[in-house]
Amino acid sequence: MPTIDVDLAQFEKLLGKTYHGNMEKLDEDLAYVKSEVKGQNEKEGTVTIELKDTNRPDLWGVEGLARGLRCYLGLEKGLREYSLGEKALDIYVDPQLKNIRPYIGCSIVKNVHLTDTIIRGLMHLQDKLDQTYGRSRQKTSIGLYCLDLLKLPLYYTVAKPSDFSFVPLGFSEKMTLTEILQRHPKGQQYGHIVSKHPIYPLLLDSEDKVLSFPPIINSNDLGRVTEEAHNLLIEVTGTLHQTVLNALTLVTTALIDRGGKPFAATINYPQDEAYPQRTVLTPDFGSKHIQLNVEYTNRILGLQLTIKHIVELLLTAGLGVAAVNEDTVDVLVPCYRVDVMHQIDIVEDVAVAYGYNNIEPLWRDLPTTGSQKPQERLTNTARELMVGSGYQEILNNTLTNPESLFTKMNHKPTPTVEIANPKLVTMTCLRNWLLPSLIEFLSVNQSVEFPQKIFELGQVTLPNETQETKTKDEQWLAAATTHAYAGFSEVKACLDSLFGNMGVIWQIKPIVHPSFIEGRTGGVIVNAEEVGVVGEVNPLVLEAWKLENPLAAFEVNFERILELQRKNA
Amino acid sequence: MVELRENEIRILAALDKLNGEASIEQLMAECELSDSAAMRSALILQENNLAKIQAQPTTKIKLTSEGEIHAQNSLPERRLVNAVIALDGKATLADAAKKVGLEQQFIQIALGWTQRKKWAILDSKTGTLQVNSAPSEGSDEKLLSLLCGKEEIPIDKVPKELQTAIDPLKKRKAIIVEEKTQHSLQITKGGKKAIEGGAADLTVSKKEVTQLTPELIIKGGWRNVRFQKYNIQAPVANVWPGKKHPYLNFLDEVRAKLVTLGFKEMSGTVVETSFFNFDALYTPQDHPARELDGIYYIKEPQYGDINKYADTVKRVKETHENGDKTGSKGWGYKYSEEEARRLILRGHGTCLSARTLLSKNLEVPSRYFSIARVYRPEVVDRTHLSEFNQVEGIVIDEKLNLRDLLGVLGKFAKEIAGADKIRFKPDYFPFTEPSVELSAYKEGYGWVEFGGSGIFRPEVTQPLGVSVPVIAWGLGVDRLFMMRAGVKDIRGIFSQDLDWLRRKQVT
Repeated sequence: MPTIDVDLAQFEKLLGKTYHGNMEKLDEDLAYVKSEVKGQNEKEGTVTIELKDTNRPDLWGVEGLARGLRCYLGLEKGLREYSLGEKALDIYVDPQLKNIRPYIGCSIVKNVHLTDTIIRGLMHLQDKLDQTYGRSRQKTSIGLYCLDLLKLPLYYTVAKPSDFSFVPLGFSEKMTLTEILQRHPKGQQYGHIVSKHPIYPLLLDSEDKVLSFPPIINSNDLGRVTEEAHNLLIEVTGTLHQTVLNALTLVTTALIDRGGKPFAATINYPQDEAYPQRTVLTPDFGSKHIQLNVEYTNRILGLQLTIKHIVELLLTAGLGVAAVNEDTVDVLVPCYRVDVMHQIDIVEDVAVAYGYNNIEPLWRDLPTTGSQKPQERLTNTARELMVGSGYQEILNNTLTNPESLFTKMNHKPTPTVEIANPKLVTMTCLRNWLLPSLIEFLSVNQSVEFPQKIFELGQVTLPNETQETKTKDEQWLAAATTHAYAGFSEVKACLDSLFGNMGVIWQIKPIVHPSFIEGRTGGVIVNAEEVGVVGEVNPLVLEAWKLENPLAAFEVNFERILELQRKNA
Repeated sequence: MVELRENEIRILAALDKLNGEASIEQLMAECELSDSAAMRSALILQENNLAKIQAQPTTKIKLTSEGEIHAQNSLPERRLVNAVIALDGKATLADAAKKVGLEQQFIQIALGWTQRKKWAILDSKTGTLQVNSAPSEGSDEKLLSLLCGKEEIPIDKVPKELQTAIDPLKKRKAIIVEEKTQHSLQITKGGKKAIEGGAADLTVSKKEVTQLTPELIIKGGWRNVRFQKYNIQAPVANVWPGKKHPYLNFLDEVRAKLVTLGFKEMSGTVVETSFFNFDALYTPQDHPARELDGIYYIKEPQYGDINKYADTVKRVKETHENGDKTGSKGWGYKYSEEEARRLILRGHGTCLSARTLLSKNLEVPSRYFSIARVYRPEVVDRTHLSEFNQVEGIVIDEKLNLRDLLGVLGKFAKEIAGADKIRFKPDYFPFTEPSVELSAYKEGYGWVEFGGSGIFRPEVTQPLGVSVPVIAWGLGVDRLFMMRAGVKDIRGIFSQDLDWLRRKQVT
């Protein structure tokens, strides 16, 4: 979930409401836009706000958050319209970009009064949009420039990585594009987006000065914004046209909210079937129309709202109304609400404006019958029998590692389901048997009073080619007893009593299992099938886990035993 | 009538014979009982108001082991002087010591005391001792003789003229002075009456036994014995019964509640295809939750099999790309079927709901739930686990609306969390609209975010072939458990602390 740090004074100014430090009240208000106060830095005068809606990038900056909240608080009504100023520049797009990073959008905002705080807020918004909305700059990346330094028009073009060089932001020497990918921190971070192509994107002005090397880094000469800049140029490049336009809208409207005056740019795309529109005027501030059906709205909300009431609520939610028909409302969705894709999204806004807590909850009588998983009853019986035998139930992670599963168990590796992107070295695969989990548990309880008797009826996961998910989960049962006189007969007696009470007929046959002592190990046989093992644990294993008392244990495929029993019945 | 053991009767008789009052020592001697037996009988007599124990602090003196040597052999200075006399009244220290066989450790002590007591004259040049006549017996020597062969004597039994010797002998570590409590027993009126009444008033109780044995039961011998009384307040050994795991026990409780509310349990595998975990739930393929730090991917094999859902996959693909027939504009990107087949460890239990909605056996109306182990590549800390359980489910019916959604959450808050008050807030999930967060208030706990819920988006239900509203809900059971069990750190749910498990109350 995105988290943003907001300058409280700036926020209150843009919102038109003061909280006098009452963060609880702010938190309550923020609920309208699915946000929460997560912390406050009184020294810096900032508030950390978590935005739960990952699909509302218009709220990810102080300007947008204030705009989104104003209507709900009754400080504004309806959608906020932004008008597109005169066209002020052209950008020419190179045909070779179509398979690399085909789209660009651009706007100019003049007469903005930037302060250090406002610039920081803008950078914060730009970063959030690049990271989350732009998917770490893959889909879109944003650049801001001081307009007065540029010679228009601009050229969105390409260059060979090793032929072209400029001074990237934060450096003082010229570097080739290849060197930037190798040596510049941003090059190392985002280089993979372009490095697969033979040529890289480049944005130049009419004197061939570099604005930026999208989506990696701006130039050191033209690509920085300071408090002295009053006229800004914003550009967004990316792989999806609509996403590029949306990101441009979000940054541009934020600057307009700061009192800036917008101007448009014409993007001149090459003659190519990849570009259905030869020229595109950006930014696109047009509202979208969505037809909201009154009956549908009431059906989803379980209310009987009149069309008039719905119109009122739409305006409270910061939406516009183009026309009211007999049973539908022609809703205007403002350009910055890039999340809306279905009328259901509008229905939710109506509900939020109405207030969830003003809606009466209803528990409907439905003729449904409850039931637990079929195997749950017998699983529970087995757990109760084990508890009755004095064994403490334990709960372990199913994620583990080969060292615990095999090396420390004196066992050859057997197939497991492995994770491609483990986060911890101790959690790299799913367990394929339970006993290592039990022994690990005992190994951290060596100072606790003995005897210790534990069991787990839990899941193991095994590779299985025949399944849809190429794996099979099974419920297994393992128990262990450890104390100075723990031994085979104790644990066999427990297993015998468990099976006896569950009506499982079983035999035991001598087997060799490297985790157990030879001659004191039995295979558990049900229906002529080996379904488990019982025995005294090999001192090699005890040593590996630093256990000081003898240990006897059993482990059985509980699910398979139930299956075999059903077959018999 | 009082029933007593033989010991008590004997003590009582002895007491009567000794004029109604005697020390424990006297009674021990009289009745030939050990210290502890006599004392126990005295206590029993006192309990029955037949005699009264009187405790008197007394000071006693007794010989130390060194004192015993001196008491038997005389004091070393006396032995030295005697030797000098035997050697004609004049001898060197060494000769005299040798003559009398004085132990090495006592030679200097003996010399010192002959000087202090002025029994001999020492010529420091020649080292010879001269004794003119045998000194008379000192009070210290008399006291030693008195103590010789006796265990101890009360300090007030020491004759007056010997009292002055106590302190010097104590300093010489020949005797020790001990403060002791002297117990004596005094017969009461009742005791007197009982002993005079004889057998009419006293019955000899039976032989006392510690253990009731099978033999005593079978042969009936138990009728003639008396059971030793235990100190029932004495601490006993720990018993650690086997118990169910508190968290699993709690989940069982939640499961039982959901079943009574008419919910059917769903189950599925922990390894899942991205299709069911994400795509079918309208989560775009480039969503941050699908990045390497959002979900665990399976190493080998990388891909699962979704061939049998080909028609559904096609509808889901269209819906993601352009909204298909759902009335949505879709996410507007190019959908990849290969990405859909990627195997992952399920990141939530909602994939089970997606499978249920697609199932041929789906009933309308119906209610389903699952208790699912789910996985996220989180760094494990106080508030995050990389593996945990989720309780969630769906409600399906033609008539369902937002009021039902609030009703389902409200019901859970009341039935499962025992909440006093509830509060709803707008929430966000990629697969539901509208979405609601529930906070429950419980006296003593405050407000807790207890659940999230929403109506599945048309982009979820329609491609899965469901045309009626579906409410999806999830419960924050971990927080509820932590609250009830007093667990502050979420890692406590998978606690490996056996001692904690043993001591955890079953509530």
